[in-house]
Amino acid sequence: MSLLNIEDLRVSFTTADGDVNAVNGVSFAIDAKETLAIVGESGSGKSQTAFAAMGLLAKNGRATGKVMFDGTDLLTLSERQLNKVRSKQVSMIFQDPMTSLNPYIRISEQMAEVLMLHKGMSKSDAIADSARMLDAVRIPDARNRVRSFPHEFSGGMRQRIMIAMALLCQPKLLIADEPTTALDVTVQAQIMQLLGEIRDEFGTAIVLITHDLGVVAGFCDRTLVLYGGQIMEDGPTDTLFADPSHPYTHGLLRAVPRLDRADSELATIAGEPPDMSRLPKGCPFTPRCAMRRDNCAADRPPLVDFAGDRRRSCHIPIKEVV
Amino acid sequence: MYPNPSTVEALEDAALLAEVQGRSLWADARTRFFRNKAAVVSLVVLALIALFALFGQFLTQYERDTVDFALMGANAHKGAPSFETGHYFGTDNSGRDLFARVVQGTGISLMVGIVGAMVAVIVGTLYGAVAGYFGGRIDNIMMRIVDVLMSIPFMFVLILMLVIFGRSIFMLFLGIGLISWLDMARIARGQTLTIKNKEFVEVAHATGVHPMKIILRHIVPNLLGIVIVYATLLVPSMIIFESFISFLGLGVQEPNTSLGALISEGAGSMQYGTLWQLIFPLIFFVLTIFSFFFVGDGLRDALDPKDR
Amino acid sequence: MLSFIARRLSVAIPTLLILVVLSFVLMYSAPGGPFNSERPLPPQVLANIEAKYGLDQPFWKQIVNYVWSVTTQFDFGPSFQYKDRTVNDVIAQGFPVTLTYGFWSFVVAVVVGVSLGIAAAIKQNSWLDYLAVGISVGAQVLPNFVMAPLLTLGLTLGWFWMTGAALLPGGGWEGGVIVAACAEKDNFCFGLPWGGAWRFDYLIMPVIALSTSYMASIARITRSSMLEVLNTNFIRTAKAKGLPMGRVIRKHALKPTMLPVLSYLGPAFVGMITGSVIIDVFFSTGGIGQFFVNSAFNRDYSVIMGITILVGALTMFFNLVVDILYAWIDPKIRY
Repeated sequence: MSLLNIEDLRVSFTTADGDVNAVNGVSFAIDAKETLAIVGESGSGKSQTAFAAMGLLAKNGRATGKVMFDGTDLLTLSERQLNKVRSKQVSMIFQDPMTSLNPYIRISEQMAEVLMLHKGMSKSDAIADSARMLDAVRIPDARNRVRSFPHEFSGGMRQRIMIAMALLCQPKLLIADEPTTALDVTVQAQIMQLLGEIRDEFGTAIVLITHDLGVVAGFCDRTLVLYGGQIMEDGPTDTLFADPSHPYTHGLLRAVPRLDRADSELATIAGEPPDMSRLPKGCPFTPRCAMRRDNCAADRPPLVDFAGDRRRSCHIPIKEVV
Repeated sequence: MYPNPSTVEALEDAALLAEVQGRSLWADARTRFFRNKAAVVSLVVLALIALFALFGQFLTQYERDTVDFALMGANAHKGAPSFETGHYFGTDNSGRDLFARVVQGTGISLMVGIVGAMVAVIVGTLYGAVAGYFGGRIDNIMMRIVDVLMSIPFMFVLILMLVIFGRSIFMLFLGIGLISWLDMARIARGQTLTIKNKEFVEVAHATGVHPMKIILRHIVPNLLGIVIVYATLLVPSMIIFESFISFLGLGVQEPNTSLGALISEGAGSMQYGTLWQLIFPLIFFVLTIFSFFFVGDGLRDALDPKDR
Repeated sequence: MLSFIARRLSVAIPTLLILVVLSFVLMYSAPGGPFNSERPLPPQVLANIEAKYGLDQPFWKQIVNYVWSVTTQFDFGPSFQYKDRTVNDVIAQGFPVTLTYGFWSFVVAVVVGVSLGIAAAIKQNSWLDYLAVGISVGAQVLPNFVMAPLLTLGLTLGWFWMTGAALLPGGGWEGGVIVAACAEKDNFCFGLPWGGAWRFDYLIMPVIALSTSYMASIARITRSSMLEVLNTNFIRTAKAKGLPMGRVIRKHALKPTMLPVLSYLGPAFVGMITGSVIIDVFFSTGGIGQFFVNSAFNRDYSVIMGITILVGALTMFFNLVVDILYAWIDPKIRY
């Protein structure tokens, strides 16, 4: 049985200008110790999928469907029950490490409270454990610096602290929401390396949410491509990258700068991301799709399995997507 | 209503990127303002109050300082508001027509508020823009002066001045002018700091435009939005300020009057049962203050919908 | 921390000196001295009086004397109006009264305002929120000089017309707030365990009148500050950690919420001190405000100056306390 199984997840927000449908029927599963990438442009619903699973949607947001974790549907849990899952079973790290730590509280307090809450540790034990965890994510001089305030650390260091804090209870699943987007390129590589080591050391399953395909390659077992709150394509990272079956994936990959192909001109996908309050009835990518057909705008293509371990949602035959 | 900041932030990911292009900031703000019912109603009320202050005198047969000797001393029995006598709002203790006095009181209070706001707009904006634009030591000294002035209990100093130089409307205006610009200077300086790093200012600077010209031509116009909002919100606090002093009897002097002075009179005589003397000035006071606040809030939301 | 305080004092003390000098210069430049009444005094008498108050000395000597005695001995000199009293006597009589209801007004404004604001923010868009927003919007038009007559109308006159008895005593703080025993007529009086009684009927109207508009502002600021804080990323982190909402608010949201509230406390303090003048005049409480206004009408310069300087000093002291609190809450502020 898979660790996390999301079925037909839909997320919508009520606003003055009408409902905004951020996620429209997303289903996927992740096994223990697996690494899954969720890829998409900003606004594709990838972060909201994660927030919905963790019960962290903004007040005006609603989630329907099923988020099965270890046999329980997280969407049906009360706040109190959900709090027992958060951080203890499923942890999350966020995009912006500069603002995700509370600037008014010492790191020691922020980390220790997790252990005190979920494991009933005493404060001094919890702080000692926290220092050990900081050491594990390579914060130099962790024992002394654990009592510092967040502003005394750099951005990369703060993301390490966030990771350390997320791992305190050794959760089975770590959701990393664009963990490297706000960081320098060199620091990005270090953080990704750290996440890789954690996966190997603790056996934590990781959902990596990103728009950066360069980060995904070589890190994730499987990749899920999201557009307009719907799954466009899903498959093992290697085959998906080598042989994209969806025009959107194809476009995304062509838009990645490559150093090994001197000839290629950097391509962009024409048009703008969709207006989530006025999605077309059919495939959301239709207006920007170079290969669109007459029925694309009206009929939503089903998500079909193919090649054993892949899924795609497109009317165009695979052979024609080059 | 518009999405509140939480919504806006939550939707960053949900991509509400279909921005409506091609409308100017001001046109946009105007649409938003007119969608705000409280602000629009308040604007209408303000217009009516202003008309009342300007032309209300023509509606009554009495002058504001004409004593009706028939009513003097018998105010509680005969001075009640009535259409028959023509004293729509009744009369005051001296038998003067309250309607005419409220007309004048409203006018003076409005004038005080507007003069205070104008001083704030002119002095405060320029002061803040200069401090922010030049920065460094000049900024430091100029803002330190503002800090020092702000920590002085001005109401007390103003009363001291009113006592020493005599109580007059001029002194009142001077006193209000002295304090009203301080906050505005701070706000203008803060905004200038962000504006001065914009390209168009840097270009002007690089091409050797005179600093004062840059401030007047490039910075001040860009401060306009926040200045207008703050000025609108400043008017009611200036009216409150003047009313406070007049309530103590230190502000506007007889035979002239302001809403504060009228409220004070009404409060002083309410145990005799002449409640109209309190109620009518109070209604105008409350309506004026409320309207300015709502218009100010509406303008703020219209010009800067994210910042609340 | 000490150097932080020292730095603040290095600004506050010159400011205070400026205030002292400024008010003295203002007084000195007054057209006509304090003893120019409608009935002119004989020149010889006037000269004697002026000699008594040191008014015959040159300007620089007067100002040095005044500044010196104010700063070193806290002596504001004799009152020009009450022949046998000094300014210090006047302050000693009125100040405790002002302090008593001023303190309670401040406490009520802060405690009620902050609680209301937090409750409204947590239950955003509930009836509680609408109530809090309604109150804080409504109270903007109820400054102390409007509240005072309205309260009197409602609590005193209204009650009297309905019951024929006085709900609250009118005029003067006869007997004070701490009394030996409760009298029959006192409606709000409680015995204290250690003897004596606390009658706060004198306090009720001054405190409500003085605190309402500030309470409303504090509630407004707290609410919007809390809403903003609840939307920050670090609150989302705290929730993702599985902390219960109560703890998220107490531990993570409260401190940053209080920062804008703290910055407002300085102006609120000044406003309340200023407002106490209205309270004293309207309710005849006998605080310094009453002496201030009396002196204003009687050209008793030394009392006006003394009270102005005292209020200025208090304001600066209070701002210093607020600054220290601010620095204590916000670790990013370097001392």
